[in-house]
Amino acid sequence: MSAVCILAPVVIAAWPAFSAAVVAAATSLGYQIVSEAKSQGSSAAARKESNSVRLEIERSEVVTNQLGRDQRIAVTRNGVTVTFSRDARGKASLCVTGTGQGEEELRALGEELSQCVVQQYVYQKLMGEMRARGFNVVEEEVSEDRSIRLKVRHWEN
Amino acid sequence: MPQREFEITIGKGGDVELHVKGYKGRACLEAVKLFEQIVGEMKSQQQTSEFFEPEEHVQYHIDQRH
Repeated sequence: MSAVCILAPVVIAAWPAFSAAVVAAATSLGYQIVSEAKSQGSSAAARKESNSVRLEIERSEVVTNQLGRDQRIAVTRNGVTVTFSRDARGKASLCVTGTGQGEEELRALGEELSQCVVQQYVYQKLMGEMRARGFNVVEEEVSEDRSIRLKVRHWEN
Repeated sequence: MPQREFEITIGKGGDVELHVKGYKGRACLEAVKLFEQIVGEMKSQQQTSEFFEPEEHVQYHIDQRH
């Protein structure tokens, strides 16, 4: 072994890459994707009775063009809806809304999902970059603690 | 061709633990740098005994014929 290091992720993504990570993370946690029309069509009455918590993904920047500023994606599970979007500063943010849950529970659900989004973003980016460089993934497994373990080989000239 | 091996663990929050194997000397720093560019910020780094072994050199023999 030559070196061991720990890297903290920085999410700098265009909207398509970010939303792909949201879809992968949400699906793995049992959420369903809500169509754009549905996410915008929830009634004002329902919103009044619901609690909501807003969170942001640290060390993130969603790169978008002028046309993509209003892009958002919503996912739902057991009456909780999580809407991901890009805030005014360009950070990835999420709004967690539910009718039967307190703020602490909504915050915990949002943090669980946002962590999983970052993990999926890192996984997808690593896999893409390694494939592009001719690295071979020889082992891949998901541990009980939901960490993803990869073994990668590369032969250099 | 030397074989390089990387053991990568992506934690549930996206932190990456990277074990780089098969390098001798400072060549492994270049590999670490690549992953740093892909993933993000370096939080900690530790070199193992193999890091301090003599660096690899590739020798080319060129026959000049006139």
